[in-house]
Amino acid sequence: MILDWKKRMRKVLFKTSDKKLPLEQTDEKALTAQDNLSNSLQENISALKSIYSKCPDVIFRTFLIGNSQKAVLIYIEGLSNIEEMDKNVLSALINLESENWLDYSVLENLPVSNIKQVNKIQDVINQISTGNPVVLIDQHSQGVTLGLAKWEKRSIEEPSAESVVRGPRDGFTETLSVNISLLRRKLKSPDLKMFSMNIGRYSQTQVVVMYIDGLVDQTLLEEINNRLSRIDVDGILESGYIEEFIEDYPFSPFPQVLNTERPDVSSANLLEGRVVILVDGTPFTIIAPITFYSLFQAAEDYYQRFLMGTLVRWLRYAFLLIALLLPSTYVAILTFHQEMVPTTLLISVAKSREEIPFPALIEALIMEVTFEALREAGLRLPKQIGSAVSIVGALVIGQAAVSAGLVSAPMVMVVAITGIASFSIPRYNAAIAIRMLRFPIMFMAGTIGLLGIMLSLLTIIIHLSTIRSFGVPYLGPMAPMKGNEMKDVLIRAPWWSLKKRPRLTGSGNTNRQSYGQKPGPAQEDEQEMNKT
Amino acid sequence: MIEKGKISGSQMAIMMNPAIFATVLLLVPAITAKHAKQDMWLSPIWSSLMGFLAVFLAYKLNKIYPRNTLIEYCELILGKVLGKILGALYLFFYFHITGIIVREYGEFVSGTFLPHTPMLFIFGTMILVCSFAVYGGLEVIGRCSEMIVPVVLFLYLVIFIMLLKDLDIRNMFPLMANGLAPSIKGSIVPQSWFSEYILIAFFLPYLTNREKGLKWGLISVASVMFFIVLTNFTSLLLFGNLTSTLTYPVMIATQYISIAEFLEHLEAIVMAIWVAGTFIKITVFYYALTLGTAQWLKLSDFRPLVFPIGFLLISFGAWSAPSLQELSHFLSTSAPFYLLSLQIIVPFILLIIALIRNKFLRKKETATG
Amino acid sequence: MSNESLQTIKKILALVFINIMVLLLSGCWDRKEVNDLGLVTAAGIDKISDKTIELSVLLYIPKSAGSGQSMNGGSEVGDAQTLVRSAKGVTIAEAMSKLQEKLPRHIFWGHTEVFIFNEKLAKKGLLKHVDFIIRHPQLRERSQLFISKQKAKEVLSLLPPLERDLAAVLRELESLKVGMEVTVKDFALMVLSESGDSAVPWIKMLPPEGGKKKKETIAYIAGTAIFQKDKMVGKIDDSITRGVLWLRNDIRLATVTVKPKGANGYVSLSLQNASSKLIPKVDNGKWKVLLKANAEADIVQNTTQLDMTNIEVIKNLQHQLKKEVENRVKLALVHVQKDMKADIFGFGDTFNRKYPDLWKRDKYRWNEIFPNIEVTIDLDIKIRRQGMNSVLSAIIPEEVKQK
Repeated sequence: MILDWKKRMRKVLFKTSDKKLPLEQTDEKALTAQDNLSNSLQENISALKSIYSKCPDVIFRTFLIGNSQKAVLIYIEGLSNIEEMDKNVLSALINLESENWLDYSVLENLPVSNIKQVNKIQDVINQISTGNPVVLIDQHSQGVTLGLAKWEKRSIEEPSAESVVRGPRDGFTETLSVNISLLRRKLKSPDLKMFSMNIGRYSQTQVVVMYIDGLVDQTLLEEINNRLSRIDVDGILESGYIEEFIEDYPFSPFPQVLNTERPDVSSANLLEGRVVILVDGTPFTIIAPITFYSLFQAAEDYYQRFLMGTLVRWLRYAFLLIALLLPSTYVAILTFHQEMVPTTLLISVAKSREEIPFPALIEALIMEVTFEALREAGLRLPKQIGSAVSIVGALVIGQAAVSAGLVSAPMVMVVAITGIASFSIPRYNAAIAIRMLRFPIMFMAGTIGLLGIMLSLLTIIIHLSTIRSFGVPYLGPMAPMKGNEMKDVLIRAPWWSLKKRPRLTGSGNTNRQSYGQKPGPAQEDEQEMNKT
Repeated sequence: MIEKGKISGSQMAIMMNPAIFATVLLLVPAITAKHAKQDMWLSPIWSSLMGFLAVFLAYKLNKIYPRNTLIEYCELILGKVLGKILGALYLFFYFHITGIIVREYGEFVSGTFLPHTPMLFIFGTMILVCSFAVYGGLEVIGRCSEMIVPVVLFLYLVIFIMLLKDLDIRNMFPLMANGLAPSIKGSIVPQSWFSEYILIAFFLPYLTNREKGLKWGLISVASVMFFIVLTNFTSLLLFGNLTSTLTYPVMIATQYISIAEFLEHLEAIVMAIWVAGTFIKITVFYYALTLGTAQWLKLSDFRPLVFPIGFLLISFGAWSAPSLQELSHFLSTSAPFYLLSLQIIVPFILLIIALIRNKFLRKKETATG
Repeated sequence: MSNESLQTIKKILALVFINIMVLLLSGCWDRKEVNDLGLVTAAGIDKISDKTIELSVLLYIPKSAGSGQSMNGGSEVGDAQTLVRSAKGVTIAEAMSKLQEKLPRHIFWGHTEVFIFNEKLAKKGLLKHVDFIIRHPQLRERSQLFISKQKAKEVLSLLPPLERDLAAVLRELESLKVGMEVTVKDFALMVLSESGDSAVPWIKMLPPEGGKKKKETIAYIAGTAIFQKDKMVGKIDDSITRGVLWLRNDIRLATVTVKPKGANGYVSLSLQNASSKLIPKVDNGKWKVLLKANAEADIVQNTTQLDMTNIEVIKNLQHQLKKEVENRVKLALVHVQKDMKADIFGFGDTFNRKYPDLWKRDKYRWNEIFPNIEVTIDLDIKIRRQGMNSVLSAIIPEEVKQK
């Protein structure tokens, strides 16, 4: 009954009667989107014009081919390459000298590199929406669409969220074809294959799934295909929409797919047998399936030498624990386990807490929430003042709060260190997960101390053990233990020792490089040097 | 099969290690010390024999009935009526034991760290977390143990290393002053713990490679033995004769650590790692209990039982003993018989009956066929 | 959404909220705010009468450094940062509960490092009081025991000029190993050992220097109190304690001064890396113990004119050094073994380890056997170095020339 009420309101307000989507309009006489093109150019044009009514940016340019045949060029202003059209299509057709009645084949001989045939009104609509102009001729029920789409796009720049010290600095852009070309440049093998689909009722966003044939697991491909084709929404504006529709555990704080702006990261994952999903309109691609450890690997690890990669990785794991547990540990120790603190430290902490009105838990919560708010606010500020304000803000607020006697100095230190630790997590979505999880752990710590922290940690581990990303256990090579793959988890083994691909790949061929790749000083040269 | 997951042999071994070790670590050194005195480090070696025996029995039974757990083949071996009764007995037994374990955990946490927190809350939080793991099934438990147990064992070794400078090797002597008797007397209580290894009868059907089950089971027993020997050794060398008077020798040993005046007062960390070990232990028992109950009731899935059994366990925990002293007394006197009978003797009888039946059936077949 | 599903969702949410609230409100039973704690760094027990004791605790009260200064780490050690409070009772536990009545803060034993028992109390027996320390979950077995000459209450109220409070002073002194180091665990172990006798460091107050107030001084380790089982029977001073330390393999710091034969002056040597072993032997019913010890010595000061680089001189010095140390040990034996008849060296344990059957048979006679045990001393002390420079022996030839 409530719903009926809403319908009635809508009718009254918009003075429409059961408004339907434009694609479903029924009109007895004129052609609809489902029909094929008719022979009569006029019918086609009027059908298309009524579909595209109130869209003045759709241009219908009627002309005569060779002064005899009527034709029309339909395109959307701003989406098509006007110069090319004028030069290679309009002038070619208009200036065609021929006495004969022209046949459809004249269209196929146009000097345009990408020509496809269209037979249906729906096809025409699809092509025009993607920017490809369509030419229709009178007396023919087929037309052509020309691949002359061009629009203003961003140039290729380094992604801001994932910059490296050493490594390629190109990043994906919003245009799908550019992104595909970037991947093609990295992986030139013809085994790099893809399939695409259009998702979204109104947005008709093109989504392309790329994989390396022979490395990827067929069941994985099928599964991804199934999940993508199941999506039925109004529009897909970002890969994040797709991510939410295809993930296994929507309620888990941990992401089950990776998203990246970097083509080198995507290519590396393709080489390991994963699948990359590119979405038109956004530079962020989705990589599936992943494990927990992929969230803590940065591209740079692999470009620097392995010792540094390993040490930085350990640092990251340590910081992960700090970011998750430090505030809770502080609260727990100060509230329940004071005997753990060395006596002198305890005394100075107690001194600084003398005048604080709040118990440790509340103080921690206040500071943490403030810090999160500052961080969020810092994101919205313009770049120039953003970083300065957040740093200054944090320091000044911290100092002021301590002076006012609201929080204690050790607490500010704890929050600052936690913040820094959470910045060291390479992937933003993982960092969010960790930041989120801090709070329940803090509550548990405030209730039963270290025991609470342990129990929360155990709950998180149980959760991580349960979830899978497209069938791959989330805790990957550590549990269940697969010795070979551990090389890339805890340490970053040198490139010459990573001989086997991770088990994800469906193929039997698990060697990614041949044996004997380990470098060393050249033997023969040394002997020669010793001789002389 | 109710449980669709599969675990590997190594996962099973890793799971069973804290299943035995976690609570042994607490009370048993003191009980062993009472009888064995300075030979207490030998006792675990004798006790582990029972562990090997339990593994062996479970493995043999599993060979005959590869797809069935203990509860199921009770019925297959003894027939419907007797089998069901025995199954019920086992279930009650495991309820009781798990309740005791939960109680031990609660007593420890309550006594040393959180005296004012109500025991029910301490039980409740732990059982809640365990129920999440049990709900996830065998694979989840296996994976969790693979993540947690190595860390726990490693930290335990670190504690041992930190105590090295305080250990006095003279406390070990005189060696076997009264012969083997004291160490054997001291081994009686720990061997009831080792007999818990019969629990692998619940897991063997779900191994990916069943032949390795025996090997991993034995490795697990050996590793537990090693750790208990280490524990007893440490308590002995640190506290000497004092050990039998201490309630939780390992705990107090950790309180004793003092390195460079900085690494002191570490007992809260010990508690944290020990809680992780106990979590695995309770989860393993809880899971066996839930699975067994579901099989006994011939249900298609054990999941709906998880939370109700959890609640029951909380009450069993409260009910299992009136006080810590009585619990300790029970563990040092009646428990060995209670545990040994149901975990070694009954499976042994089952095995014999099964073997006889098989031979009988085969004779029948060869006779008729 | 239909009405029904809305209702179920509401019910679920309500349950969830109640549960969360219960979790939070039921609150933190064991929560103790840092500022609600009275940190006890040292405790002292005195005898009031035959039945009652007085428990004094040394509390460390953190005073706030004032708001706004904590960023600069201002922690001035103000005047009365430590506080001593006492209460009486028949047991320590009872005294503690009476004490809590007088204190606005919760008595926190987690950082108690030092326990001081008064002499008179020690003479009556310590074990029943030490029981409190071992039983309490917060108290650590690593806290150190001391016996004091003066009343523990007075000792605790001293204000040491250098350290934070008296507990820190005593802890530091003990870690320097000038005397015995006895923690609660050591004491309990000694009492439980085969012979059952124990020893605890003995402290007395140092008289304040001129110009300082009466309380601005410390207590120092002046010797060792000797116990038979857990009752104090006597005390030895610090030089005799050194001998005891040799027998217990507890020597860390030792300086020996010898007067070499035929020379004017003294040579002081500092002993390093000293270790000793007790080797028991039973010969025809005669119980003997061999003390085997070795150490290395460095020459610290030479006021004679002997040339320290001369090998003969060194040999003689070594010999005299050995004699000196032997004397110390013998002195200790005379006092402790023969006079006080207390086996604080662990002879009983040593015999038990080597001759368990003999021990089982004869241990009831220990009181007779012990004072008559023959102790032979075998010392091996090598003079290793003679320091950086040697002034006197350099100028001696000239003086001789001049003369």
